[in-house]
Amino acid sequence: MSKKRERLEVIRDILKVIQNNRRIKPTRLLYASNLSPQMFKEYVNELLGKKFVQSEEDGNGKKIFSLTKKGNEFLQEYKVIENFVENFGL
Amino acid sequence: MDLYSLLIENREIIKIFYGLLIGLICLIIVLKVDKLFRLSLHQGIRYLRNAFFFYGVAFIIRYIFGALIFYEYIDGKYLSVITIIFKYFLIMAGFFLLYSLLWKKLESSKNDDYSSLFNLKIIIFYIMALVIVFLDYVWQTHYFIFISQVILFTIASGISYLNYARGKSEHKFLKFYFAAMILALAAWIFNALSALLDWNRYFLINSYLLNIIIFLLFLYGVVNATRLK
Repeated sequence: MSKKRERLEVIRDILKVIQNNRRIKPTRLLYASNLSPQMFKEYVNELLGKKFVQSEEDGNGKKIFSLTKKGNEFLQEYKVIENFVENFGL
Repeated sequence: MDLYSLLIENREIIKIFYGLLIGLICLIIVLKVDKLFRLSLHQGIRYLRNAFFFYGVAFIIRYIFGALIFYEYIDGKYLSVITIIFKYFLIMAGFFLLYSLLWKKLESSKNDDYSSLFNLKIIIFYIMALVIVFLDYVWQTHYFIFISQVILFTIASGISYLNYARGKSEHKFLKFYFAAMILALAAWIFNALSALLDWNRYFLINSYLLNIIIFLLFLYGVVNATRLK
C-alpha cells in the first residue's frame, strides 16, 4: 500500500468521524482517529488549511470541529479521487 | 492519388486539425483533472493537470500559429519565436508529467506552495527548459530537446512500469499509462530519426500518429477514472 493512499485514507477517516458526529471536540476526534497526538495535529492543521474542516467554539468556549461544504464534497468524491490517484500512479 | 500523397499534399491543413485535436484533448483533461485537484488539493493531480495544460498550449501554438505563418497571415520571421515557445512549453509539460510521478519522494504532502507554476522547485524546471531551448537555438538544432525528452520518457517509462508491476491487478489504467510512456518514448525517437534523416516523412507521420494515440489514451484514462462513482 502506498504512503499517499494511506494519507488519503487517514483524511477520509477523520472527515467521516466528524461527519458522523456533526460537531466533535478535539480530544474525541483524536481518540477516534487512531493517530498519535503529533500526527493528529498535523492532519487537523492540514484539513483546517484546506478548509475541509472548520473550528468553532461551543457555549463553554471549548474548541469543536465541524465539516465544511468542501469537506462534505471531498467525502462524496473520495472514491473517484482515490481511483484516479492510484490509476495514474500519483 | 494514394492516401500518403493526399496526406503530404494537405499537410498544413492536417497539421491545424492535429493541433486542434490535441489541444482539445488537453483542454478536456485539464478541466476534468482540475476539478479533482480543487476537491482533493492533491499535489500529484496538480502536477498532472499542469503537464496537460503545457502540452495543450504547446500544440496550439506550434500547429495553429505555424499554419498561419505557412499561409502568410503572420510574417515568417516569427517562426523561430513560435518554435522556441513550442519547445519551451513541450519541455515544461514533460517535466510536470515526470514530476507528477516523482513528487511523493521529493516533497511533503503538506505542501503550502500557493502556486504550482511559480515556486522554488518548479523554477529549476523553468531554468532547465530555458537552457535546453537556448542550446537548441544557439546550435540551430533540435537534438537537445530530443535527447532531453528521450531521457525523460525513459525515466517515466521505468517509473510507470514499477507502478504497473505493483498495482496491475487492482488498477487497470496503470497498464495503459505504461504503454503511453513507451509510445511517447517511441514518438520522440521517431522525431529524432526524422530530423536526422532530413525530416523523413515516414518517421514524422508515425510520430504524429503516436502522439494522437498517447493523448487519446490519457483522455480515456481520465474520463474513465473520473466517471466512477
